[in-house]
Amino acid sequence: MSIMEVKNVGYTYDNRRKVLRGINVQMEQGKLYAILGPSGCGKTTLLSLIGGLDSPTSGQILFEDQDIAKTGLSDHRKNHVSFIFQAYNLIDYLNPKENVALTSKLPPLPILERLGLTKEEAKRNVLKLSGGQQQRVAIARALASEAPVILADEPTGNLDEDTARDITEILKESAHKMNKCVVVVTHSNELAKQADVICRLKRGELQVLDRISDTPKARNGRRGR
Amino acid sequence: MNHKTNLGIRAVLHTVRKWKKTLLLFCLLLFITTLVLSGMAIADAQEEQSEELRGVTGASFTVNANNGYTLQPVTDEMIEEIAAIDGVESYNTSHWTIVNLYNQDTLMKGTDEREYVADLFYGSGCFDSEYSPLFLSGALRLTEGRHVTEGNSGIILYEGLAEKYGLSLGDTLEIKNGNPGDPLVECEIAGLFEVIADDNDEQATMARPSTFYDYEEYVFVDMDTMSAISAPYTASEGNGITSVDFFVSDAAKLESIVQEVQNNTSIDWNSYYITVNNEVYERISSSLSDTSTLVTTLIVMITVVSMVLIILILFMSIRSRKREIGILLAVGIEKYAVLLQQMLEICLVAIAAFPLAYLASREMAGTLGTLFGKAAENVIVTPQHFVLVTAAGVGLLIIAVLVSCIPVMRMQPKAILSQME
Repeated sequence: MSIMEVKNVGYTYDNRRKVLRGINVQMEQGKLYAILGPSGCGKTTLLSLIGGLDSPTSGQILFEDQDIAKTGLSDHRKNHVSFIFQAYNLIDYLNPKENVALTSKLPPLPILERLGLTKEEAKRNVLKLSGGQQQRVAIARALASEAPVILADEPTGNLDEDTARDITEILKESAHKMNKCVVVVTHSNELAKQADVICRLKRGELQVLDRISDTPKARNGRRGR
Repeated sequence: MNHKTNLGIRAVLHTVRKWKKTLLLFCLLLFITTLVLSGMAIADAQEEQSEELRGVTGASFTVNANNGYTLQPVTDEMIEEIAAIDGVESYNTSHWTIVNLYNQDTLMKGTDEREYVADLFYGSGCFDSEYSPLFLSGALRLTEGRHVTEGNSGIILYEGLAEKYGLSLGDTLEIKNGNPGDPLVECEIAGLFEVIADDNDEQATMARPSTFYDYEEYVFVDMDTMSAISAPYTASEGNGITSVDFFVSDAAKLESIVQEVQNNTSIDWNSYYITVNNEVYERISSSLSDTSTLVTTLIVMITVVSMVLIILILFMSIRSRKREIGILLAVGIEKYAVLLQQMLEICLVAIAAFPLAYLASREMAGTLGTLFGKAAENVIVTPQHFVLVTAAGVGLLIIAVLVSCIPVMRMQPKAILSQME
């Protein structure tokens, strides 16, 4: 049973450049999805559309079979999805605890500690944390939210190998142990290898694979030959 | 327990942790509010001064008997009817005659032993001597006692004359018209005056063109006394008054009062006509109006420039916080909550700045007022000014926040974050 469905979605920049064409994909809880593709192919745009940060030019984004354009993008962002951005996007006048508490009523410290931050670091100005620590705060913010879908845009893009591995593990756990639907846009083969489903975006079209080494399972919703 | 960082907490944390921005906004609001409060106090002082001046310019209108063959005197009924009209403060007439004064059967002489006129005094009958042109113009000033009015009879004479004859308030004199055989009328000394103007003061001698009478030889009596003195010469009804001056409480309303007198009274205007006397007000009204316009313009300019400045600062502030707004929207915070946070932040600054501005303006307004020619003690910042400025200020600040936020709020979160990246 899919929780999110991208249905025949197209997106055009400035009414001229078609970035996405007839994208179809269904996403389930408990799975880690990786969206791969060359730079500028529209990966982040697709993630933004799934997350309700923007509206598609054509087609629909469904959450539990409801069109998010009709139920409200703001409501979708608030209740259904949580984001992890490549640039972390933390609020600079809030400390890690307060940043995590933006989306959750739960105490933020346990989750920050689980992600490797100390109590002192959890109270420090976010701009004084390392990139890895900031990304952990961003992940903590996403995990603390009760949203069933986590959307991550290049979450390991700015991190060293060890930290990237840790983050990959956390995302995998979120999908498999916390039963979240985790969708990751990445260039990292290491991260993609851990994904349950690979979505390859090329020239505005999407190929869905079971594993990174698999042949295409579907192309824009059609079964692969 | 709810650990959520809600908009109230975010607003307080931003205000405290971004203290440099907060301080800048605080100083700006403090400065502007102090100026506006002071400006309002100056404007009020200006208005008060204008009202006061309008009341003391002696603006009046005169009801005259028509200068035809059948001269009708101004009757008591007419005077009462006109005096009852709203805005008419008082009235007086200029009923003059030559009189002799007797102190214990002795014919009194003036202080200057002048030929021909030494024992003659220039007597004026008044409904209210305070409104005699000589007292109004400041040529004479009452130094002791009171003015004579209807119901408060008596005589007012020069203090030097009283001194010459050892007279004081309450003493009784006898007064009669200048011809032998005229009746002697007793009257009590009600007041003494001093002479302020000299003989050459043209403005002060406006009462009559006589130049050979000395002001020291003027006496003022109530109309009942004057009627008794003039009885042998008054054939017509009433006091034989041919003109009465009516003084208004506000010179600015003179025209409308005259219109009311002409339209809403039972007086037959074929037999009477009205002349308007507002030269003094006409002279000062343009300067009053100029000062009022200047003060109002300054206040409006300060407010407009301040608002533009605040909107610009808020625009810049919102611009620098565009990414934050994008993040908040992306993580599911509603637009209204983002807006409310911004409003709350500016209100927190205003809550501190406005009362301080009130205290500062109370100290400063007087000094600023002197720049506009106001006495410092008359320029007072009142709690009403504070309430008005606070209410209008908060309203304008909220509008400024809304206007500043509109461009960002119209964007999708993705567009905001993309721009920032």
